[in-house]
Amino acid sequence: MENTDLSSGERKLQCSDVSKCFQLLESILDGELGEEGKELLKQKLDKCQPCFEHFHLEQAIREVLKTKCTKQPLPEKLADSIRQMIQDVR
Amino acid sequence: MSEVQRRKYSQEEKSAVFDGEFMPHIDSMYNFAFRLTFDEDDAKDLVQDTYMKAFRFINSFEQGTNAKAWLFRILKNSFINEYRRKSKQPAKVDYQEVETFYNSDDVDYQSTTDLRAESVKDMLGDEISNALNALAVDFRTVIILADLEGFTYEEMAKILDIPIGTVRSRLHRARNLLKDKLKGYAQSMGYNTDEEEEE
Repeated sequence: MENTDLSSGERKLQCSDVSKCFQLLESILDGELGEEGKELLKQKLDKCQPCFEHFHLEQAIREVLKTKCTKQPLPEKLADSIRQMIQDVR
Repeated sequence: MSEVQRRKYSQEEKSAVFDGEFMPHIDSMYNFAFRLTFDEDDAKDLVQDTYMKAFRFINSFEQGTNAKAWLFRILKNSFINEYRRKSKQPAKVDYQEVETFYNSDDVDYQSTTDLRAESVKDMLGDEISNALNALAVDFRTVIILADLEGFTYEEMAKILDIPIGTVRSRLHRARNLLKDKLKGYAQSMGYNTDEEEEE
């Protein structure tokens, strides 16, 4: 049986299935696994250094995407011109 | 008819749905359109066309369902049908990127060891934005939908007309490609990466 009580200093340094683990972490970050995801995440982060790092990297990327790529300023008259077009076809 | 016949909206109801459920998403719609076309005028036209279509087909929108996903689906289809064709970007660029990706075995390993969360946090908006814009349109789209707009995999599957499994794997690939771009920026800006330390 594996010891489930590893401290952060005792994470394994190699992940045996990087591709699968990372996809799983991404699904968890995307909120696709609900409560089950939270438990799985805790296990992974406690045990595996590559997973730990990948998780924090993915989290940072999501954060900057959300804060820095969503602010394309709307052209001033676009909303008005759409409302006008709709008025005209009504 | 097997479908439930929904009654048609009255003029007042149409206005209420359009103003109350469609118009609030205009900022997200424009952001999406701009990131697809990279051109303010094209983005404006695309958003306008989308809203015109939404109004014309408003009877096929069921109140209480996800209006934002419904609108994004129309916008995406309009882009594919009308804008992508006349887009200035040659299609083969997309191809090359996909090919390169499939030919590389250790994308996961590469992109995760050389890029640090700290470097990403220090990057400027332009660097992040350019990295996103440099992705092929199919990869760019899933990142926009998931990370910028917060759609679920199920909603994305409906918007893009692809199975959920494809959403998941395309997103994973898109994120690996994005990390490669970001890694390039990190190195060119002299941010700390593992590769440099080892030499």
